[in-house]
Amino acid sequence: MSPVLAFVNNRRVRDVFWQIAVCATAAGLIAYFVRNASDNMAKAGIASGFDFLGRTSGIELPFLLTRYTPQSTILELLWAAVVNTMTVALVAILAATLLGFALGIARLSRNWLLSNLAGAYVEVVRNIPVLFFVLFWYFAVIAALPGPREAIGIFAVAFLSNRGLTVPTPQAAGAFSLAALDSVICVGAQIAIAAWARRRRERTSRGFPLWSSGAVLVAGVPLLAFAAAVAATPWDIPVLRGFNYRGGFVLIPEFVALVAALATYAAAFIAEIVRGGILAVPKGQLEAARALGLGPGQVLRLVVIPQALRVMVPPLTSQYLNVLKNSSLGAAIGFPELMNVFVGSALNITGQAVEIIAITLGIYLAIGLAVSALMNWYNARVALVTQ
Amino acid sequence: MFIRRVVLGAAVTSLLPVASLAQQLAPSPTLDAIKARGHVECGVHLGLPGFSFANDKGEWSGIDVDYCRAVAAAVLGDAGKVKYTPTSVQQRWPVLQSGQVDLLSRNTTITFSRNASLGVNFQGINFYEGQTFVVRAKAGAKEPKDLDGATICVAAGSTEEKTAADWYAERKLKVTIINFQKNDDAIAAYDAGRCDAYTAGLGALAGQRIKLKETGEHLIMTETISNDPQGPVTRWGDERWQAVVRWTLNGTIAAEALGVTSRNVDEMKAKSTNAEVRRLLGVEGNFGQLLGLSNDWIYQVIKQVGNYGESYERTWAWARRSSLPAARTSCGRRVDCCTPRRSSESGIRDQVSGIRCRDSSFLLIPDP
Repeated sequence: MSPVLAFVNNRRVRDVFWQIAVCATAAGLIAYFVRNASDNMAKAGIASGFDFLGRTSGIELPFLLTRYTPQSTILELLWAAVVNTMTVALVAILAATLLGFALGIARLSRNWLLSNLAGAYVEVVRNIPVLFFVLFWYFAVIAALPGPREAIGIFAVAFLSNRGLTVPTPQAAGAFSLAALDSVICVGAQIAIAAWARRRRERTSRGFPLWSSGAVLVAGVPLLAFAAAVAATPWDIPVLRGFNYRGGFVLIPEFVALVAALATYAAAFIAEIVRGGILAVPKGQLEAARALGLGPGQVLRLVVIPQALRVMVPPLTSQYLNVLKNSSLGAAIGFPELMNVFVGSALNITGQAVEIIAITLGIYLAIGLAVSALMNWYNARVALVTQ
Repeated sequence: MFIRRVVLGAAVTSLLPVASLAQQLAPSPTLDAIKARGHVECGVHLGLPGFSFANDKGEWSGIDVDYCRAVAAAVLGDAGKVKYTPTSVQQRWPVLQSGQVDLLSRNTTITFSRNASLGVNFQGINFYEGQTFVVRAKAGAKEPKDLDGATICVAAGSTEEKTAADWYAERKLKVTIINFQKNDDAIAAYDAGRCDAYTAGLGALAGQRIKLKETGEHLIMTETISNDPQGPVTRWGDERWQAVVRWTLNGTIAAEALGVTSRNVDEMKAKSTNAEVRRLLGVEGNFGQLLGLSNDWIYQVIKQVGNYGESYERTWAWARRSSLPAARTSCGRRVDCCTPRRSSESGIRDQVSGIRCRDSSFLLIPDP
């Protein structure tokens, strides 16, 4: 065989060749589409490029966790929207997980009423479109709350109305930083004590009142420190003036409604995942655990859940991603998340649809992949270690 | 004005021999496509009484819808050959840019940045809108500045969103603005008590008021915080099509100024001795042909749809019948829902009658 033929027939050479060919085709296609789009946009007189990110936005947002103002740039507007999206998704995911676990376990309960209630909840919620759920929660939340003039006062410092929950904000952070530092030191000390007590117990089998030291170090001292910080800090307390409360921070009803809708919706799916995961644990494991004399709580905590988690984590990941993506429905109820602020307002101000849609897609993709990566890491940790 | 007439006259005169000899027209893919498919694709509002609104039988009406019909009459000779594409605030630009519709006739405010960066052209004004607020009467707010501290619902991506933010920021007043995807979502949230006010144009509010549960408990403020001239929009390119859209609107306004209505148009066409009327209706000259249309294109528009004033009366008469409490008194004859302008631009006195107040002679077809 000639050396040329041998080179061409070499399997590794062929593999590399095909990979390069596929990558080059993909890159070429993308380049072609980008060029084609920008040429056509230039011909149609549509502005293009990313300069618009530096322009002043001029848009008011009702819910902010960043230092954005209407005088800020569109890039800062984008960041404020991303933070809002991530906050809503995070809170909803936490709440959905807690509620979903409770429902899933309740559905397996031997109590007839409890298991059937949980089953009915799952069946009803799973079969309702999520947009309907969001609107239902929104109008339910608004309708349930009084106007600002009849707001429900909580110790005369926080006020609940259909404009949201207005809470006082600290005007200085110094005292709180000290309290937090103090708490960290105390918790660290408790962890050290626990490790020392464990070693001593293993060596001498003498017990140590860990609960008492924990009560003081983890609960008592930090609580006192924070109470002192609350007293020492000047507060911006909301006051009713004219139409609404002035001052403080407002947790708007759109946020509450969106979190409630996403959490209660995803919980129904998570409940089924939890139930499936638990049922996937072989019955022999349960019997063996009971034979060892473990109580029902211990069986669940030490034997069932760790094994069920392995089955549950991959489908849980896709539910979490669904929550993230469904958070874009906040646009329908005026919650300033990525879809509403960037694709709704910013797109119309700048008119640069291609760039804005591409940025939005990229951000959802990045957050989604990050969630995926985190869950995969967790999955690898709980997965069965095989030889 | 004289110079403009001379220039326009010269331009038309120089074109005449060419047009009459060989009918050599600039290519117009849009006009060709409309003639081939047999109807005009018109982008309208999702549903805004007075502008574009479909009744329970699916029949569209409103001043913007009338304009779509006028274009169909001008191009195809039949005002009924229109297909309406309802668009939201956010959908309207992609729908126009992508060529899905031939024009937008959708109470869209004329702004510089839209013209400069969206690849669209505005073809004249068919409504002078001004932004204001609707509030609950018991809240006691009479003017926009009384809304200090208030929460305001608005449609995201509308000019109102930014105008309201700018207006209050300039006056150092604090308002909370909640953006919704659609006008209807924003109104529903206002009606449910989420907001103290809902903001939109005065004309739009007059129509949207019927969507509120207790219409009588709400007050539309008379003071406006913006001047929002609105009119039909086309995309860049295809100049001949743009000229058709622009001059169909001008033709309906000119017809009103010349006293040509749908009722007397046949008589005027047969008997009028006024040279401008004769040219307008295609009795003299071949002006329609210059754009690749039939010479009686404006005749068809007036006969089937009516002049601008008739269209206005037809679409806004209901607003006069329904009581628009505070807004009515200060307005002129045809302006049920507008207020006099304080700053006047080229003699525009108020929102709608401004079309008539303005020197309309430039709209008339000059001597050949």
